[in-house]
Amino acid sequence: MQAEEYSLIEQCRGGNSEAYAILVERYQEMVYNVACRMIGDRDAAHDISQESFLSAYDGLKRFRSDSKFSTWLYRITVNKCRDYLRGRKPDVLLDEVSEILPSKAPDPQDLLYRKQLGQTLQTALGALPEDYREVIVLKHIGGLDYKEMESILGVSANALKVRTYRAREMLKKFLLEAGVSNG
Amino acid sequence: MDKETQLIHELLDGELSPEERRDLLDRVNSAPLLKGEFDDLRSVVDMVESAERLAVPPEFTSQVMKRLPSPKVSFRKRVSSFFLGARVLRWNLASALAALCLVVIAAGAFFEMQKKGEIVSHRASLDKATRTVVISFYAPKAGKVSLAGDFNKWSIEKGLMKKESNGIWTLEIPLEPGTYHYMFVVNGEAWVTDPNAELSYDDGFGNKNSVLRVSL
Repeated sequence: MQAEEYSLIEQCRGGNSEAYAILVERYQEMVYNVACRMIGDRDAAHDISQESFLSAYDGLKRFRSDSKFSTWLYRITVNKCRDYLRGRKPDVLLDEVSEILPSKAPDPQDLLYRKQLGQTLQTALGALPEDYREVIVLKHIGGLDYKEMESILGVSANALKVRTYRAREMLKKFLLEAGVSNG
Repeated sequence: MDKETQLIHELLDGELSPEERRDLLDRVNSAPLLKGEFDDLRSVVDMVESAERLAVPPEFTSQVMKRLPSPKVSFRKRVSSFFLGARVLRWNLASALAALCLVVIAAGAFFEMQKKGEIVSHRASLDKATRTVVISFYAPKAGKVSLAGDFNKWSIEKGLMKKESNGIWTLEIPLEPGTYHYMFVVNGEAWVTDPNAELSYDDGFGNKNSVLRVSL
């Protein structure tokens, strides 16, 4: 996969921008979901995702063949999310988590229930400190391992493990206080 | 964070050996408080990982592509344009005859290639209303031509093209917006990269797939 992606990148560098469409289609869902979960606003996440792809294209000349394109793209996306969050109002308060807690549905598979649960999760993620939210999103939404996260965030894998453990504990506390129990 | 809790996190990350995992689960199952902690953490992880994945708007790729900067024209392309670009030429009979000779030679080579069954051109067009892509392929000497790609699981039977009287093979296929890889298969055995595709790249097995992008 990496050799094939590098071949696409080489074609982009050679002026064939059509090759970039393949990379955009391959990673757009990942970038969009990370941005959505990081900032909790779909419209802004859409803009950030677009900007991330444009910045990545602009920087292809500097892209090194020993890197993974996805890792590099994640790093750009995370940095854009950070910039956006710095210019925005403070995060939601914990109290808001319980306000949008879904009523317990009789059937947990129910689509609406899942959607509401997703909203509750989004609010809980928004209540986490930014660096905690980053590790939860990259680890559990992006499905990355700690080594990849180390490349993206510039923090050692061991430190990121500890951060992730603490972030999970905090998220667990928020969700329990909001009334979301296991099962 | 105590040792047991840290081990629970490591287990959730899949970082424990089978023995360590079994030992921890034994302890968890025999201690209700620890089990409660384990269940809560596991449900948090499950909740995040099973959260609804948000669908990307279908026009996302097109929007990015429209916003890409126009490619800078390289020196080589400028030279190529200088020699190949259209311009008005003054002519006389001698140069016209020389040009005619060249045309006759080129036409001879063209028909020779056809006799050998080589492919000389193809055309792809898109009916935007129905999202039906019409793919055409010029191979007058071929007995059978198929269009095989990821849209038909690379089947050489599903994408059989129809031969027109002028030697052009065509196939209409309904496609959703997206990017597709394909090749032409001539006489059921020769896999041919589309020489006129805007993009083609190695498939990892020694062939070059052609790429077709369907936009909204």
